[in-house]
Amino acid sequence: MSADFEPKIVGFLCNWCSYAGADMTGTSRIPYPPNIRIIRVPCSGRVDPLFVLKAFQEGADGVLVAGCHPGDCHYADGNYHAQRRYALMHRFLDYMGIEAERLRVDWVSAAEGARFARVVDELTESVRALGPWNGEGVG
Amino acid sequence: MMDAGEATKQIQATARELLSSGSVTCVIGYEIGPRGVVRPFFAYTPAEADRLVWNDLCDHNLTVFLHDWKMPRARDQDPPRVGIVVKACDARAINVLVQERQVAREQLDVIGIVCGGMRDGEGQDAPFQARCQRCAERTPVVHDQLIGEPTVAPVRADWADVEVLEAMSPRERLAFWVGHFDRCLRCYACRQACPGCYCYECLAEQVDPLWVGIGIDFPGKYFFHVMRAYHLTGRCVDCDECERVCPVDIPVSLLNRRIAREVMELFDYTPGLSPDGPSPLTTFRPDEALPL
Repeated sequence: MSADFEPKIVGFLCNWCSYAGADMTGTSRIPYPPNIRIIRVPCSGRVDPLFVLKAFQEGADGVLVAGCHPGDCHYADGNYHAQRRYALMHRFLDYMGIEAERLRVDWVSAAEGARFARVVDELTESVRALGPWNGEGVG
Repeated sequence: MMDAGEATKQIQATARELLSSGSVTCVIGYEIGPRGVVRPFFAYTPAEADRLVWNDLCDHNLTVFLHDWKMPRARDQDPPRVGIVVKACDARAINVLVQERQVAREQLDVIGIVCGGMRDGEGQDAPFQARCQRCAERTPVVHDQLIGEPTVAPVRADWADVEVLEAMSPRERLAFWVGHFDRCLRCYACRQACPGCYCYECLAEQVDPLWVGIGIDFPGKYFFHVMRAYHLTGRCVDCDECERVCPVDIPVSLLNRRIAREVMELFDYTPGLSPDGPSPLTTFRPDEALPL
């Protein structure tokens, strides 16, 4: 693929942990790829699987869903529901032709600024290697 | 398997009894229509019960019609009681609807038939349908009456059709799906035939938020199918009506079956075996660590 390809990553970050963690990445002045567009949600359990699909539909090449660590959810159990939904989603997306590596679901706490940078960097690089997702050009 | 003529007589007798005693308002079953083709039939009187039939062309999953029987006909009444003829695959849809509080079990008089499989054409030489060849049950899991001797299917559930696709690369699979969905007209026959699709306003018709729009171009129609399949996660009973009714022969069942296999492997759950579930997407265990 073209060396100029810059993946578009959409990130759904929960307000209490992962968004705060991303904020800490910034305040700590830790650089991370600018490819991610962050959408703040109250909880990873708010992330309807249709959001992930809509992101790909609108041109995202990769999606990150990040929440509190299991057991630490601000709303007690939202991230457990998210875990169930997204455990089922990876392989189905792959089966539909959206490579499983394009969706990353991870737990980032409010203190893990450095970790957030690493997660975004890893996702951006693996999506860069996969190339743009554009179903229209196929078949 | 019970002889079709004998089964027909028993269904008619059961329906006649239910209707004349007033136990149900209607019996939902099959009849032979004016063009000689089997179609769903709603018997409201004992005389109409004589039109009910059973044979190996009774494809339809009649539980989809339960969507229309949810509400009472007048205030301060209960919803009307209905009798319904079900095969093994259809019966699991009843459990899903009961579990999701769409119908009450007490509202139904379930006439279960031990099914030998539906054929792809008339006559004893016509092949059995693919979904019947891999059927893992013959006896309806829920019934108030059972017509035929309970029996166990000789074939285990197998995922060979899904595995063919799994052997391809993601890009090949994308080409496969985009190629098939190219023919999709957004007629929504798949959605209308599905017992699990009962939303008053389908995601496909919502404008705020706008999920897929109504056009017939990519990506809307690709994502409509992906989103609908995802809404059926842990709920689809694999009756394959969606594929049967598609006017342009899209292999819709391959979508739902892939998810069904994932649900089976991760949670050891088959939708509709019990009215109590518990459905894997509405429950969780705090100690679990699922592959993400």
